[in-house]
Parts: sequence; C-alpha cells; structure tokens
Amino acid sequence: MQFEERHKERNSFSNRILVSFIVFTILFLAVLGRIFYLQISTSETYLTAAESNRTYTVPVQTLRGEIFDRNGNLLIGNRATFDLVTVPAQIEDLDVFIEQISEIMPLSVQSIEDYKNLFNSKALYNRELVLLKDLSEEEIAAFQVRSFRFPGAFVGKRYRRISEYPELFSHALGYTSRASATFTNLPGVPSRNWRDAEYVYASGLINGQIGLEKIYNESLSGSFGKKIYEIDAKGRLHNLIRIIDGKPGEDLYTSLDLNAQLAAQKAINGKRGAVVAIHLATGGLSVLYSSPSFSINEFANGIGQQTLDQVIQDVNKPLFNRALKGRYPPASSIKPAIALYGLNANLTSWDRKIEDPGYFKLPEDGRIYRGWRKGGHGTVDLTKALVQSSNTYFFDLAYQSDIDQLTNHLANMGFGKSLCIDCFDEDQGLLPTPEWKYAQYNKGWFKGDTVNMGVGQGYILATPIQLAYYASILANKGEALLPHFGLETSIQATAVEASNSNWSRIHQALELVVEGPSGTANRLSELKSFKVAAKTGTAELVSLDSKEAYAEVRSDVLQRDHAIIIAFGPLPNPEYAVSVVIENGESGGLVAGPVAIEVLKALIER
Amino acid sequence: MKLRIYADWIITLCILMLSVFGLFFLFSASDGNIDAVLKQLAYIILGFILFFIIAQFDPENFRRLAYLLLGASFLLMVITAIFGPEINGAQRWIRLAGFSFQSSELFKISLPLTMATFLQFKKLPISMRDTFVCLFVIGISALTVAIQPDLGTSLLVALSGLFVLFLAGLSWPFIGITFGILVISSPFIWNNLLRPFQKERILTLFNPESDPFGSGWNIIQSRIAIGSGGISGKGYGEGSQTHFNFLPETETDFIFAVIAEEFGFIGVLVILSLFLILSLRTLYFGLNARDRFCRLVVGGFLLTFLFNLLVNISMVIGLIPVVGMPLPFLSKGGSSMITLFILFGIIMSIGTHKTLMQR
Repeated sequence: MQFEERHKERNSFSNRILVSFIVFTILFLAVLGRIFYLQISTSETYLTAAESNRTYTVPVQTLRGEIFDRNGNLLIGNRATFDLVTVPAQIEDLDVFIEQISEIMPLSVQSIEDYKNLFNSKALYNRELVLLKDLSEEEIAAFQVRSFRFPGAFVGKRYRRISEYPELFSHALGYTSRASATFTNLPGVPSRNWRDAEYVYASGLINGQIGLEKIYNESLSGSFGKKIYEIDAKGRLHNLIRIIDGKPGEDLYTSLDLNAQLAAQKAINGKRGAVVAIHLATGGLSVLYSSPSFSINEFANGIGQQTLDQVIQDVNKPLFNRALKGRYPPASSIKPAIALYGLNANLTSWDRKIEDPGYFKLPEDGRIYRGWRKGGHGTVDLTKALVQSSNTYFFDLAYQSDIDQLTNHLANMGFGKSLCIDCFDEDQGLLPTPEWKYAQYNKGWFKGDTVNMGVGQGYILATPIQLAYYASILANKGEALLPHFGLETSIQATAVEASNSNWSRIHQALELVVEGPSGTANRLSELKSFKVAAKTGTAELVSLDSKEAYAEVRSDVLQRDHAIIIAFGPLPNPEYAVSVVIENGESGGLVAGPVAIEVLKALIER
Repeated sequence: MKLRIYADWIITLCILMLSVFGLFFLFSASDGNIDAVLKQLAYIILGFILFFIIAQFDPENFRRLAYLLLGASFLLMVITAIFGPEINGAQRWIRLAGFSFQSSELFKISLPLTMATFLQFKKLPISMRDTFVCLFVIGISALTVAIQPDLGTSLLVALSGLFVLFLAGLSWPFIGITFGILVISSPFIWNNLLRPFQKERILTLFNPESDPFGSGWNIIQSRIAIGSGGISGKGYGEGSQTHFNFLPETETDFIFAVIAEEFGFIGVLVILSLFLILSLRTLYFGLNARDRFCRLVVGGFLLTFLFNLLVNISMVIGLIPVVGMPLPFLSKGGSSMITLFILFGIIMSIGTHKTLMQR
C-alpha cells in the first residue's frame, strides 16, 4: 500500500472509530440520564415500592373485652387454653414427627390427615400450623419435658370465650363465633394478608353474633395490632421488624345482676317462659332471662353438628329469645293501664260502682263477654276490679273508650314498639289499631275489639320486656326510662300523665292484689319480707264460653293459658319492676307470681 | 538483550479494580456465598495470568493465528453440538478436565482477528466481493452460535465481525442501503422471524405493569431496585430487592441493579467512570496502533465491548428488552470473564508493541 493510501485509510479509521465512540457516548449519557431519573428524581416512589415489597404486615388479634354484671361478677370472659403449634419449615421429617408426637398425645386420623394436607404449603411460606387444640395439663407436661426433641413445635396459648354460667345469660349476652376475615378492614393491610393473621383465640377471628356480644361488638373487639415481617419474593417470612400494638377490647359493665338472674333461672325451673326485671332508678335491665336456654360456650367454641341439631330441633325452642321476642296477650295485666286511661278520660272514678254478673253484654249485638269467676264479683268499684281482676268492669270501661285515644295511651306505656336501647333483635309486639285491622284483615274495627282490649285479649300482644317496662312506668308513677343494659340512667321517654292521687290509688290497689285477702296473688304475700304491688294475668289462647270447655282444651298442654304477672316493690318506694311470663302456666298468681317474688327478693334482699 | 515487560498500568488498574469490585458485589448478590466468590476469584486470577502472558506476545502472532483460531472456533462448535450436555434446552458448554467452557466465546476473539487479517490490505472502500465474503463468514459464525441457541452471544459475535468490517472502510452507500432494507423489512421480521416470547419481551418493555408477576416482573423489580438506591444506596448487603429475591439473576445479568441499589448513583458513577477510562485508553491504543490490523482489532474489540456494556445496562434499567448478556468484568461467569481478559490482553499487546519507527 502506498503511503498516501495508508494515510487515507488511517484517517478513515480514525473518523469512524471516533464517530462510533461519540455515538456510544451519547447513548451512555442517555442511560446515565435514565439512571439519574430513577435514582434521584423519582427515588421516593421506588423506595416506597421497595419497602412494600420487603415488608409483610400481618394483623394480630387483641383480646376481646369481658362482660361483667353490675357488681363486677364476670359473666363471660377469656380463658387461656393451650394448643400444640408447629413450624413446618423446621420439621425435617413429617412422618417421624407425627409418630413421635403420637407417642405423647393422641392424634385422630382425621387431624393427622388435615395436618398433612396443609403441611407443605405452610412449610414453603414459613408459617405456623396448629396440630392439636386444647391440650390437657398432662399433655402439656409430657410435651414440655421432651420439647428438645421437637424444635419445630411449641405449646401456644390460645384463648376461648367462656362463661362460668353457660346457660344463664345466653339470651342477654348472646355469643361470638368464628367470622370471616373479610369483615375486618385494617388500614395498611391488604385483604390477602388476612390468611396469615395471628389470632389469640382458638377459633380465630370472632365476632358477636347476637345479644350484647353483637350490639357492643365493636368496643368489645378493640382493634387488631400489626406485626411487620421481612418477606422475600417467594413469600417466605424472615425477621419480625416491628410490632404495632392493637387496642384491646373494652370490658363491658352491664346492669345485669348475677344473683337475681340465678334466682330467675332457679324459680322458672326449665319451664317455657321469660323474666325481665328493670332497675327503676336507671332503667337498667337487672334480669333478662328466657327459658329454656342453651350453652353459649358451645356456640362460641365450636358446637358439634349433633348438639346443634338438637338445640335447633328442640320443641321448646331454647334459641328463641322469649324475653325480647315472645308475643303474649297481656291479659289482665293490662288492667291498670286501662284504669289509668279511664281515670284520665273521666270515664270512671274511684267511686264509681257497677254490678258484675260475671259477664258483659255488648249492647250493639247482645254478644256475651265472660269474666273468669262464674257469677261475677258482685258490686265492683275500680279498686276491687283491679284487686279481684273483674273482667266485666274493664269490658264496660273499654266499651266507653275511644279506640284511638286508648291505643295512644297504651303506646305511651310501651305497647306495640321496641323499647330497649341496646337489645339485640327486639320484637315490637302488637298494638292493634283500626287502621292495622283494616290493613291486615280488610275488616272494620268492631266495638267488641275494643272491649276485648280492655282485658288484654284479642289482637293485642306484648313481649315480656314491654310488660316489664309497663310495670316500671306504673312503679315510677308515670316516669318512663327506656330499658337498657347500661349502668347509667337511661333515656327518658314521654312520661305517662296522671294525678298523684290516682297514682297512689293504683299503687294501693296493686298492693292489695298481693297483700290483700282477696287479691288474685295473695298467696305471694307470705313469701317475702317486703311489700309488693302486682297485677296477674291469665292469657287465654283459645276463646271459650265456659269453664267446662276449658277442661277439654287443657288436655293439650300447648293450648293452656299463659301465666303472666307484672310486679314492683318494695313498697312504698319501689326499686324494681319485674314481668314474668310462663307459657301455658295457667295461673298468673300461682305460677308466674312466685318467680317474680324470687327475683324481687334476690334484687331487694341481696 | 534487556527483558521488557509489555504492560499498561491504566488498563491493568481499571481491569483489576473492576474485577475486584465484581467479587465484592458478587459476595453481596450471592448472599455471602463464599464458594461462588472463591470460584470467581480463581477465574480472575487465571484471567490475569492470561492477560499478562498474551500482552507479551507481538501482535504479529495474533495475525498469524487468526484463521487457525476461527477454524478452531467452528471445530469447538461441532464438538459442542455432539458432546455438549444439554442445559435448559441449550447446548452451549464443553466439559474439559472438570472445567466447563462456553464454546461460542472463542468467536469473540477469532472472528474480529480474522476480519482484521482478511481486510488489513484491502483498498478503500472495501469491494463488494470482499464485503460479501466477510458478511458470509460473519453470518455463518453467528448462525452456528444462534442455533445452540444463544441469541445474546450470537448478536455479540456478529457485531464483533461487523464492527471490524465497518472500521475497515465498509462503503457508506452499502451501509445506507442495508439499513434501509432493515427498516422496510422490520414488519416482516416482527411477524415472521420473532418468536412469541421475544415479541412479548419487547411489548412488556413498554408496559411492564400489564403483567407485573409475569413477564413484567424483572423490569419492574429491577427498576424498583435501582430507583430505591437513591444517591448513596442502601449500603453494602442491605439491598432488600437483592436479598429478598425480588431481583432476578442478581449474580449475573442483573448485577448492575445490585450495585445501583446498594451503592446508589454514586456507585453507578464510579463504575461507569472506570469503564470510561478503560474505553478511552483502548480508544487511544486504537488510534495510535502501529498498523491497520492492530487498529481494526482494537477498534473492533472496543466497539463490541461498548455495545455489550450498553446493552446490559440498558436492559437492567428497562430501556431495552431483556437479553441474556453479562456486564463485563462484573457479572459472575467463567468463560466470558476469561474471554474478556484475553481480549484486553490482545489490546494491551497492541498498545505496548510499537514498530521500531514508532519507538
């Protein structure tokens, strides 16, 4: 090659390599710009992303608040039990492990199978897995002395929701049960993390299903804490970096009274019925008992299918909350309310007397409405009509009533509406009006319907809590405090107006029901050391014309009359009002009465 | 005669620092796997020995050996195809006395040498006939690598030859026409030549969030690793993206993201500066080489090296689709590391062996 050509070639090479190098330099500067953008301009975004990549937040359950009665007796609380918890990632040979554990404590075939099914995935992600729940002390001891042989297992404390009185407060407290994690929304925790939540309860996430456990679920539950773990791309947990404590559930102090509730349970003795007692000063529910009952411990901690079926299919319907949802004709217990209405409306007075032949004949069509005593009560004034429960007197009084004013008055006394501030699923009962009857039966309101209402029969239906509230208004001489489970004074509803002397005479008459010689509940007089006012009721389920016909009806237990009583005491300054309904108990004074007295005794003589 | 050692301290120092840094990063990226680090150290020591020995030879030897080496390269490929074990559906390795060697690496040395030897006396511009001879040899070489299959290496092999051809004076009209044809036929290439997974890689690049746990994973996680490094990084061994396995291939192709995460922008600048100094020194050698063969060899090596560097970093920061190409001197690997040392041995030989006239 010639010199000139060599020179030309060298220049060409130099140009080309320099141009290439410059092109590469520009491209590298673009790359550097991009790195600058990532690392300096938008670094914050990626730091956050890296942090959320790296960390895994697991919800951690806190202990649920406990529920106490007004004297600080624990009604339902948390009891520690112990489970055998394993860390599959640390177990080398599953079969050997199972075999060695089986030597210490019995494992069912089913539980081994369940355990093996979950083992691999838990090992892969380094999660815990429970092998056996609720260890006995012997099992714990047997495991602890050999624990060095099981590096991948430990005894873990797990709580259960337990009541010392599993059947006593079932309808008041309700129960908790296992809930789906999606019910809970915890900020900063994606819903998928809930599958790794750490629970302190053996049942996992629990929520109140009914009763106070449901109504106060939020404050009882508190809030979940968080554990923040380091996690790798494969989802394996590494170090625990941080623990953020949750807020433990708040304890709940209620107006309930353990001793009175026990007295109610004992007195009602398994019969179908309900007892509600109200503390007059506060409106607090001292007793709310529905019989028969069921075990909330079983419902809270995993009830067997067989037991559950038994409870559900029981003809006595233990799950049914009679105290809040049982609808019963108030029967004669409504008479004081009718009397008050009559006095207020000037339809009657304490001096007015009528002749009671044992029946009331409706002037319009001559239809006969009978009293409970054949031959009647003779000459009857209002006091005697209340004390001896003369139907004729109240048929007559109701006959004179304006139905709209009467229902208005009864509504003020709590009929036909739900009253309780923090009860779960309370029924409204039924306070019939002409509009209601027309809508329901497409029939007009007859005078006879009003007459029937005068003795608490016919369409009107009340729940035991309504009866207790009604009794509390009578006891408080018109002041109406809505029932609730709180210890503080409840919300005041519209007071029932009546003159002082009328209230006093109502109290006197109702006192005579118990304390007077001819009172319908005079046999209760001996049972206690303080004076009680009461009104009995015997709710007819079948409309009959004669006592003879009832003898036939009696043969079917479920058609027998309901026994009802409302009562308050001690007089002259009552502290508690109580209502008792015994289904098919027949006699308000004889069957429901003693229950009311036992409850009042427990409350007053404590 | 006085014994002379042919060595350039700038190149030696750059390579030394890069490979020592590489060991350092590898220790972190492998979660403290000392065995991997020691193995890599062994490769580096072997590489340095080869680097120095080769630098002592006069460039004339490489010229003489060029065709022989190309022949040997093809022979190795045949041996690989027959005896090589199949790993992950590809036959790329030869086992020899307990060592594995990626046979296609030899092309990176032999093809540029062959091209330079063939073109060293050709007149400017390179004739059509010579151009096609070169393209044929390059094509065959790249194809034998491509069918292993190993597209990343195949691309580098092809470019290592094409760069020499370009530097030797490939005619501009030819370059223009070829590019024109490439652009026009790109829809055809997209539709008919690219495999579905390759298309997916390209499409994911533009919208990695469309499949964050699938094909977009690498791009997203790598971006997070780099971005979260910030100015000064999270500290050595503290990269959560690296150590909790969010980053793929931390020891090999994605080592750059590890550096960026743990040492931040400052670390990136340090590494890129070392590469810049190394490249400038090589460029200087190229411009001042004693003859055309030497110029072409150094120039070809340099551009291939820069291309390799650019592709790896661009891939890691998410500018181009994921292609398997290691980061020179920093990614873990035996064959590619040894090859690099040999290439720079040749560069240093050319840079330090001058003709009498030049001395």
